[in-house]
Amino acid sequence: MRAGRAKHVWFWAFVGPAVAGLLCFSVWPMLYSLWLSFCHYEVVAPPRFIGLRNYVYLFRHDAAFWPSVRVTLVFTAIQVPLSILASLALALLLHQPVRARGWWRAVYFLPSILPQAALAVVFGYIFQADGGLLNRVLGLAGFAGQAWSSSPTWALVVLIVMSLWGFGYPMVIFLAGLQNVPRELYEAAHIDGAGAWARFRHVTLPLISPVLFFNVVMGVIAALKVFDIAYAFGMAQGQPIPGGPARATLFYGLNLYQQAFGYFHMGLASAMAWLLFGFILLLTAVNFRLSRRWVHYAD
Amino acid sequence: MRRRPELWSYLAFALVAGAGFWWAGRSREPRPVHGRTVITWYSVITPLRDHYEAQAKAFERAHPDIEVRILWVPDSEYNVRLKTLAAARQLPDIFLSGDVWISYLLPLTMDVTAYVRRDAAEFGLDDFFPQIRTAMQHEGRYYIMPEYMNLSLLYYNRRMFAEAGLPEPAGRWTWSDLVANGKQLTHAGTNGRPDVWGCSRVENWWGEWLIYVRQAGGKVFTEDGRRCLLGSPEAIAGLRFYEEKSSRHHFSAPAGFEPRNGFVNERVAMIVGGHVNYWLNYNQMPGLDWDVQLLPAGPHSRRGGELAMAGYSIARTCRHPEEAWALMKFLTRPEAVAEIVARGSLAVRQSVAAANIRGPRRHERPRNLGAAYAQFEFGEPIPRHPHFIEIMLQIVQPEIDRMVLGQLTPEEAGRRAEAAANAFLATFDPADS
Repeated sequence: MRAGRAKHVWFWAFVGPAVAGLLCFSVWPMLYSLWLSFCHYEVVAPPRFIGLRNYVYLFRHDAAFWPSVRVTLVFTAIQVPLSILASLALALLLHQPVRARGWWRAVYFLPSILPQAALAVVFGYIFQADGGLLNRVLGLAGFAGQAWSSSPTWALVVLIVMSLWGFGYPMVIFLAGLQNVPRELYEAAHIDGAGAWARFRHVTLPLISPVLFFNVVMGVIAALKVFDIAYAFGMAQGQPIPGGPARATLFYGLNLYQQAFGYFHMGLASAMAWLLFGFILLLTAVNFRLSRRWVHYAD
Repeated sequence: MRRRPELWSYLAFALVAGAGFWWAGRSREPRPVHGRTVITWYSVITPLRDHYEAQAKAFERAHPDIEVRILWVPDSEYNVRLKTLAAARQLPDIFLSGDVWISYLLPLTMDVTAYVRRDAAEFGLDDFFPQIRTAMQHEGRYYIMPEYMNLSLLYYNRRMFAEAGLPEPAGRWTWSDLVANGKQLTHAGTNGRPDVWGCSRVENWWGEWLIYVRQAGGKVFTEDGRRCLLGSPEAIAGLRFYEEKSSRHHFSAPAGFEPRNGFVNERVAMIVGGHVNYWLNYNQMPGLDWDVQLLPAGPHSRRGGELAMAGYSIARTCRHPEEAWALMKFLTRPEAVAEIVARGSLAVRQSVAAANIRGPRRHERPRNLGAAYAQFEFGEPIPRHPHFIEIMLQIVQPEIDRMVLGQLTPEEAGRRAEAAANAFLATFDPADS
């Protein structure tokens, strides 16, 4: 009994701080923000309960809400598949037995550790309308340049291209998955006459499907929460508030940040945060449900 | 007795955790010298930093019982941090303010009417321009002590006008003169497309288009601030002129193609609006021969350029208002204002302005300072509305962006902006803030 109690004490002595931290700094703020989502709260005065008015305003009147939802969904729908394809393709290449493989892996991972702000400045120069690198190259080839970063059509494309630079993390996870595929299976498939595509389709893909699923889920969540890249890009373009032109790069996360810390509509921002939380929860649940059809676990 | 080890482990843990929290939360600020009052001054990082630090030292010498601590904050984070400090009940004693900001900083700001009336003769209230005295107030009460101001002006490159064989802009210019001269100053580059533009077009914020809206007789809000009026025919006329500078008259670059720092690099001959904060930069470019003139008049009026004043306010939570007030008076005394003006700015005090026009001056440009101060008569403050900045940047500007990109007509942009702003105002009533 005494040993059991001592274990109990030590368990809480070690786990207690983490639990206390979780309760104080995660659970409590979340519950408080849920309460705030039903309040008018602009920081300088105490919160005032207004029922569902924040939610009604967002759905029916806010000029920025639906554009930000649209931008985020378009970005997610294009960026996630491209990012998965690019990182899987590179992982397959870097899995080949070539000389200095470790060095190549490091080289391809390096862009992922670039700070978003630096990336935004560099890409801002490349896509600048007046004297930008891309327009100069196009001019040499006899083509007219575009105002890439100032055009509502192209600005989101520029951000998608920028975001693909972060392929390193899913690539490393794919590499780990590829290394766990038993070599015998490839040998058996080869003996059975399977070509490269058949081996990839029927051996590699099913066996890395848990890793693929993980990357898809994480990629979708990250794309729905995207903030830093759009913020840094907007600042680099000299926009007084990032998200332009004409809300073309106003991501949901950016809109939420502006409502919270630009204009201090904490109630409205809390409502937005809970809507995002609910949507991500729902989408992840759907992802898990669908994964039963295509994800193969060894056991 | 058996429980003692458990008890000790809990106590030890609590002690370590408590010490950690104390260490993390303790104040890093040095303690004030015994008997001295500390006044905290919240300021943006600016090229005038050395001036402000010298002012703080001079104030401490004049008031040995007061210590001034300046907290430097990047410009882009200033308002966010200030409101965050307000939420944490840790506001500094004095902070930057101005007539653009006062509407939404009002809940944080102390009413200094009693101090202003008591010391009016001492600090020279009447020395401030009458428009500035009005801008210091909100609903008849004083909240701001002014330091400098901005007036929208016509900025132009003298060399580019001379090379084009054009006389320099005159004070009687109208929009038609701006268009005619702007067209003659626009030149094609080697690829046949315009490379030098007659006039810039300020994008992403209201700096330029609001001038035209007001000069065409339009308004942003009704007098009570509860309705937006950007869909009115007058406002739309102003928006149309702004849009047609590029689409019809072709003397401003299309959206997104404005050369970076075009005025400084002499690829843009004129700026409508501008800001006195850039005078310092312009004067650091040795070859840049620039000057200013009154804004061209619109179809309704010459009035409509921005008149904005910046200065200081005392936090409502300030525990040493008398000392903070002394510092504010010190920072806005004629000598301090004169130093800022000498570096390149417009004076809020009539005595400093008169001396500045008479000269001698530290910088030769702008030569036409008389026109800059004459613009005073035609300047208008931006509407005193707690949500002005948000409505303009978050709600109205995206519609203006779409207009300059050719996706909306000026009529559509004005009406859509008005409808969206009114939906916002129906939820966020100014009276709530």
